[in-house]
Amino acid sequence: MGRSSTQTATRGKRGPFGFILRYLRLAGIFAAASVSAQLEYRTNFALGVLGALLEATGALFGLLILLGDGQSLGGWSYYEAAVLLGLFTFIQGMIGGLLRPNLNKMAEAVRSGTMDFTLLKPIDTQFLVSARNVNIFVLPNLLTGLGVMGWALAQLPGVTILSILGGIVLVGAALTIVYAVWFMLTTTAFWFVKVENITELFNGLFRAGQFPVTVFPSWARFLFTFVLPIAFITTVPAEVLLGRIRPASVVSALVVAVGLVVVSRWLWLRAIGSYTSASS
Amino acid sequence: MKHLPAHTIQVAGLQKHYVVHEKEPGLAGSLRAFFHRKTKLVQAVAGVTFTIDPGEMVGFLGPNGAGKTTTLKMLAGLLHPSGGSVDVAGFTPKERRAAFLKLITLVMGQKQQLLWDLPALDSFRVNQAIYEIPDDEYQATMREFNTILELEGILKKQVRKLSLGERMKCELAAALLHRPKVLFLDEPTIGLDVNMQVRIREFVAEYNRRFQASVILTSHYMADVTALCKRIIVIDKGQIVFDGDLGELTERAGARKVISVELARLVTLERLASYGQVQSVEGLRARLEVPRQTTSSTAARLLAELPIADVTIEDPPIEEVIGQMFGGHRPATADMVRAQEPQEVGS
Repeated sequence: MGRSSTQTATRGKRGPFGFILRYLRLAGIFAAASVSAQLEYRTNFALGVLGALLEATGALFGLLILLGDGQSLGGWSYYEAAVLLGLFTFIQGMIGGLLRPNLNKMAEAVRSGTMDFTLLKPIDTQFLVSARNVNIFVLPNLLTGLGVMGWALAQLPGVTILSILGGIVLVGAALTIVYAVWFMLTTTAFWFVKVENITELFNGLFRAGQFPVTVFPSWARFLFTFVLPIAFITTVPAEVLLGRIRPASVVSALVVAVGLVVVSRWLWLRAIGSYTSASS
Repeated sequence: MKHLPAHTIQVAGLQKHYVVHEKEPGLAGSLRAFFHRKTKLVQAVAGVTFTIDPGEMVGFLGPNGAGKTTTLKMLAGLLHPSGGSVDVAGFTPKERRAAFLKLITLVMGQKQQLLWDLPALDSFRVNQAIYEIPDDEYQATMREFNTILELEGILKKQVRKLSLGERMKCELAAALLHRPKVLFLDEPTIGLDVNMQVRIREFVAEYNRRFQASVILTSHYMADVTALCKRIIVIDKGQIVFDGDLGELTERAGARKVISVELARLVTLERLASYGQVQSVEGLRARLEVPRQTTSSTAARLLAELPIADVTIEDPPIEEVIGQMFGGHRPATADMVRAQEPQEVGS
């Protein structure tokens, strides 16, 4: 860890590539520290591994039951729905592994005042609060999701290399959307201080993503597409994976993702401007 | 830097106010406050002006809630001022430029940045990456800190297993790893025993000497300030009430000492009062205020003439000194004990 820092010692201007490289390296160092911290407690770590395996098994059975009757779901065939569910499980794992450990701690850091140290660091603070921790116990869940997705995709004729590449891009957009929405909700802690119930609100909403938006009545479909972008989290990427590429939804997913990140950034800058810190 | 200002820190008319809400105690009060919030404006810093030169060490004194911490946080760029101007090393702190943040550090005795579950060394490595400290410079700094702070043997222990003093040493090292030129130290010795306080003080003095760093220090311990700072700024109710030489302040403030005695058995109050001004009596413990010049002779007389179990001599608490010097309000006897409890208001 940190061995190669002499290369980054050049303190002047660096190109966009060097900039990305530096932040990737920082993310690696944060992740390593975060995993080391979890490894300090061996019993807890072993329990975590066990719990992760159990949870993944549970998720797998849940998928099998949901898919068990071989019926179609909102116009989606059996295997298509399996892709969607696999994707949902995967995205849920990514959220649990990368987003939840950080965003859950943000509000607490504001309340207790340890946000002070974060804001004093000479790197992008939004990055620092968003990438500080990882949870590796979601790995079995991620693999379950990927496995189910892979198995179901293999049964479907319309899947091509192109649709898979497109799917990967859109999954990236989906994670970005989830991140931005959750991040914005958590950022309100700077004004409201205690907002942990936002996590629950968010989880409740996100659960709607395990079904294709087409199963919902039209008013809910409208809501989940345009107001709360749940459709972009699972339905749209799954559609692309399945080879049903509709340029309009691909473009709008990317636009929504970029737009939300821009807004989250604006909100973050506003938030740290009105930071009041906690009593020392 | 092309533009080198004459002063490291320039503050003019700096202000900060907060809106806070109040509630009556109890559930009923909470419910009322939930629906109808009573807010009021608190003037934490009400227009302060001062400058600090390169390499200068200044002590910030003042009662709890006076605005010391709020001022420090504005200087560090954490809080945006409500009015006035701040310039630190040629930067406007609230813009929080990376180049500025690499020049400063803020140490808070009551908060910690070290990763709780990991040895301090891991936190140092993270900071090394964040501050882009080259390996050779990192190693050199660590070697120096090792010798001055005696970190050997504690760097590889989990932070949560360290004693308070050990942890503070590591906190300081983590905060100074990037060799900042401006140090904001907010109660860095709080809760530490006397030996550790001395060690921390020596370290700060040594750092200041080696790196010509400017230091602003707030502390409840008069000894911290007298050991380190030639110049004192006293803040009360968000305003500067004294800015000048330490000698001048101690002459006024340090004219008296407090002798705390623990008696072996009860003694009449009149008898105690014949030795000095009785500040407080609590069971067998009593605090007497005496003039500085006669401190040792009075202590000797006390030991010889009264059934004394234990005796300590100390400077009067800063709150009291400042209360006497500026507000004129002497804390009543009953308040004495409470006056030492922190009761920070909105800072």
